[in-house]
Amino acid sequence: MKGYRDYFLKKLGWFILTVVVAFTLNFILPRLMPGDPVAAIVARMAQGMSNATGVQAVYEQYTRLFATDQPILNQYVIYLRNVLNGDFGYSISQYPRTVADVIGSSIWWTIALQLPAIIVGWVIGNTLGALAAYVRKGFDKVLLPISIFLSNLPAFGMAIILLVIFAVHLKWFPTSGGYAYEMVPNLSWEFVWSVIVHYQLPFWSIVLITIGGQAIGMRSMAIYELNADYVKYARFLGIKDNKIIRYVFRNAMLPQITGLALSIGTMVSGALVAEIIFNYPGLGSTILSAVLGGDYPLISAATLIITFMALVAFFVLEIIYGLIDPRIKAAQSE
Amino acid sequence: MARVVLQVNELTTRYITRFRENIYAVDHVSLKVEEGKSLGIAGESGCGKSTLALSLMGYYFAPLHYTSGEIIINDHNITGMDPDEVRKTILGTEISYIPQAAMNALNPTRRVINFIEDVIQAHLPEVSKKEIYELARERFELLGLPAEVLQKYPVELSGGMKQRTVIATSVILSPKVLVADEPSSALDVTSQKMVIKMVMDLMDKGIVKALVFITHELPLLYNVTDDIMVMYAGQVVEKGTAEEMVFDPIHPYTRALMGSIIVPESGLRNVKLTAIPGTPPNLKNPPSGCRFAERCKYVRPECRVTTVNLNEIGNGRAYRCIIPEEDLRRMYKSEQQK
Amino acid sequence: MVGFGIFSAIVLTVLIYPLFIDDPPLGIISRGTFLAPGIYVNVYDSVNFTPRYTLIEDEAAARRINSQLKPEDRVAMQEWLVGAGVPEAEINTEDTAALLDLWHSRFDPTVRIPGMTNADRNYYIRLTASLDGLLAAEGAIVAAPNETTGALEQRGLIEQTDYVNIGEVPNFRILPLGTDNFGRDVLTELVSATGVSLTIGFVAGIVATTIGLLLGLFSGYMGGLIDDIIVFITNLFTVIPSFVLLILISFSIGQEQRGPVTIAIVIGLTSWVWTARAVRGQVISLRNRDHVNLSKLSGHSVLYILAMDILPYIASYVVMALILQISSGILAEAGLSILGLGPRTTEVPTLGLMMNWSMIYQAHILGKWWAYFPVILTIALITFSMNLMNTGLDRVFNPTLRG
Repeated sequence: MKGYRDYFLKKLGWFILTVVVAFTLNFILPRLMPGDPVAAIVARMAQGMSNATGVQAVYEQYTRLFATDQPILNQYVIYLRNVLNGDFGYSISQYPRTVADVIGSSIWWTIALQLPAIIVGWVIGNTLGALAAYVRKGFDKVLLPISIFLSNLPAFGMAIILLVIFAVHLKWFPTSGGYAYEMVPNLSWEFVWSVIVHYQLPFWSIVLITIGGQAIGMRSMAIYELNADYVKYARFLGIKDNKIIRYVFRNAMLPQITGLALSIGTMVSGALVAEIIFNYPGLGSTILSAVLGGDYPLISAATLIITFMALVAFFVLEIIYGLIDPRIKAAQSE
Repeated sequence: MARVVLQVNELTTRYITRFRENIYAVDHVSLKVEEGKSLGIAGESGCGKSTLALSLMGYYFAPLHYTSGEIIINDHNITGMDPDEVRKTILGTEISYIPQAAMNALNPTRRVINFIEDVIQAHLPEVSKKEIYELARERFELLGLPAEVLQKYPVELSGGMKQRTVIATSVILSPKVLVADEPSSALDVTSQKMVIKMVMDLMDKGIVKALVFITHELPLLYNVTDDIMVMYAGQVVEKGTAEEMVFDPIHPYTRALMGSIIVPESGLRNVKLTAIPGTPPNLKNPPSGCRFAERCKYVRPECRVTTVNLNEIGNGRAYRCIIPEEDLRRMYKSEQQK
Repeated sequence: MVGFGIFSAIVLTVLIYPLFIDDPPLGIISRGTFLAPGIYVNVYDSVNFTPRYTLIEDEAAARRINSQLKPEDRVAMQEWLVGAGVPEAEINTEDTAALLDLWHSRFDPTVRIPGMTNADRNYYIRLTASLDGLLAAEGAIVAAPNETTGALEQRGLIEQTDYVNIGEVPNFRILPLGTDNFGRDVLTELVSATGVSLTIGFVAGIVATTIGLLLGLFSGYMGGLIDDIIVFITNLFTVIPSFVLLILISFSIGQEQRGPVTIAIVIGLTSWVWTARAVRGQVISLRNRDHVNLSKLSGHSVLYILAMDILPYIASYVVMALILQISSGILAEAGLSILGLGPRTTEVPTLGLMMNWSMIYQAHILGKWWAYFPVILTIALITFSMNLMNTGLDRVFNPTLRG
């Protein structure tokens, strides 16, 4: 599959390049602001911390970390080296935990929530959209307004609606947290069940919003494809409808995958806000508390990680697309 | 008297608009094609020839609806046949279709050979892929297409190549009748020639027994088909052999069509070039009299009010005009001499 | 055009409302948090200064009793009594007088009923206190200390049938949406916040559309190296989540710098990608049209061609893109503010900030719906109406979509 290998390498190269650019941006932006970043950090820290030796230790660490006394190129290299080692420094708002530690504990919650939610939402949304395009009649008339409504809601809007209806009024689900607050994470069945229960509302918020957007897109694509010339031609040659339908949807799906890749950024941000509303212990809440606590290193690291994850997702999607669309292999091999 | 392979009797089909109005795009059209012969159908865009082609396939999709008339293909009367049976036994095997813009007729994400497999297996499920490949390769090579084409995706083929692939695919099951809807209109001149040659090859090699060739380019038909039928506003206005239609047109519309082309034949050098002014009538409310009356040079007051029927004058010749043919011929002659 | 109607209604409200109610939107008007929506009447005024009228209302007493002694309370009382040994047959929850009699004679806070928690006990104690004087037939006495003796003497009597006309009460306040956690009038805040958010969205939209338009024009028309560079940058910004960039920039700017306009510009700077790509596509399909080539042959400069030949054709497209950018700008600001990275909180509210406050103070959990639900509704209405406008405009510009 020589053709595919070229495609893969091209996408890989692009991926590496964007990671580098993202990293550089993450490095440069704060330093463009006037003033000494370390002093600013320390000033904010001093408000929250009462331990003088603690403040001193963090200050020293940051001077070392940022190397503000050295030329900027050195700073970049040092930062790069630290990041690759997983050393993001200490968290100001949760001292003495390190940033890596804080992120480490919340990142898995976020991935476990968002990844399945986005995938499930995408699958359901596309299926509904495809059905609406094929069946039309009543189903379509019902689905379309619902999807329009869903896709217009901001992510946090859906989160709040679900929260109010199901958690506050009906009391079917808890209102916040990743698990019951009195429990300590362990592998017991109760804990796992508690996690599952707490998982439901944030999960379904993200799923529902995704469904809205995907259903509309897929419906338009499917309608377009269903009226395509090759469908008519295949019919004229006597090919059965079910076979034709299968190919129509396959063709309609391809741009949807691309669409998904392009909107990963928006979806992730929306999901983060949803997390916040539910006090879900993922990166969203981490960022919120970091902002409230003026914890620059935590924010910087969190944004870097989120960007990285989004880039990885994008890369994976592009690879999958290359595998599914047969034209890619063919085109590349010429 | 050769066998009649395609017979259409007073076929009428209509479009139903979203406001429930009926547009009779094909209005009581009759035609007949014998084995080994080809029929050309000419007319302006919107005259109903493409709709006629779709109707011939017996496969109606909203908003196109069958209204009345008969279609008999190779002794099968497909009028009122169950659509699923039509699909299984008629489409592709008795009658097949070459669409207008072949560029998009092939599924972009499927290889040619896979598509052919789909076509064949929809009718003969027992045939193995290997057999299909052999058949396809043979047939393609017979028609001048290299076997490599089978493995390609449509995007890898040029326009002319795609059209010829579509033609070859349409006749893979050797249908008796082939309906070609403007097969060469979207191509450059060289490709046009190849496509036409291929279509005629199909007849010569006996792969198809009868051909219906639809186009708006009249000069093409003279070289390709045996008989010609001219349509206007959903109705047949004249039919006859190619020779008769080109050199001795009766109906004013046919004559005007002839007058609007450049023909190097010496006998016609005196025919003046004229464009036909005006536009075809709106088929939602067809005029009560002759539909060509608005644009006819020879129009008389009676033309607009009398219903005009098709005049059969023997040997398959017919024209739709209330003016007798001798008068028309006389008028044409006097014009030519000016 | 429904969308247009809704949208104009919103804008008009924002503009007209301050003319009638000119309180500062962030002015604190109450102590205590989350006052429910309603009409707040100054009790002091109604007791002392306002003329009183007598209205004869048969149901008044019953209503008074029912508002204090709800059905759940009656059931609770019955439970306690049964638990305390009173035979159930003797308890009639419907007969208020008898029930209260029974209660007063039997209730003892020190008695321990099995299954009763401390919280329940406090509940009963409170209930008893609130029932005091419920069935009294006399009015309430207004007393004030005597200037000489200092003892309380009766100055007035409030009959149970006394009513005041709200129109005559000098001080009352209609709070259709109650107050938020700080004690601010939600409705006024909301109107002001809508105005600010709309402004932010508008500025952000203009910035983003301008950048996107310029980049798209040049990239699409010039082609070649410029195109490659711009496409490259566009792709970069597509993949890197713009929201993340927003967070980073916003945080780096710091609290002091973050005015609403600054935020708007920042949002605009990070969301131009979609417009640039769309414009570029349109320009590319236009640049080989005949009239453009004609202009080129006539020797017109690039700028002239862009302005005269290409711009008019994509104008409709640009207008729709602008609307989209405005609505997404508003959403972006809301998201930022929820995170706490929005504009400064001390001067003007924005829709996102209102959300942020209500969440930090747990309004949704406490059931104080007025603190967040109207905000969400407004946001949804704004985005919805803008989308409708867009679809409507689409039909105007693109006749094939009509009907």
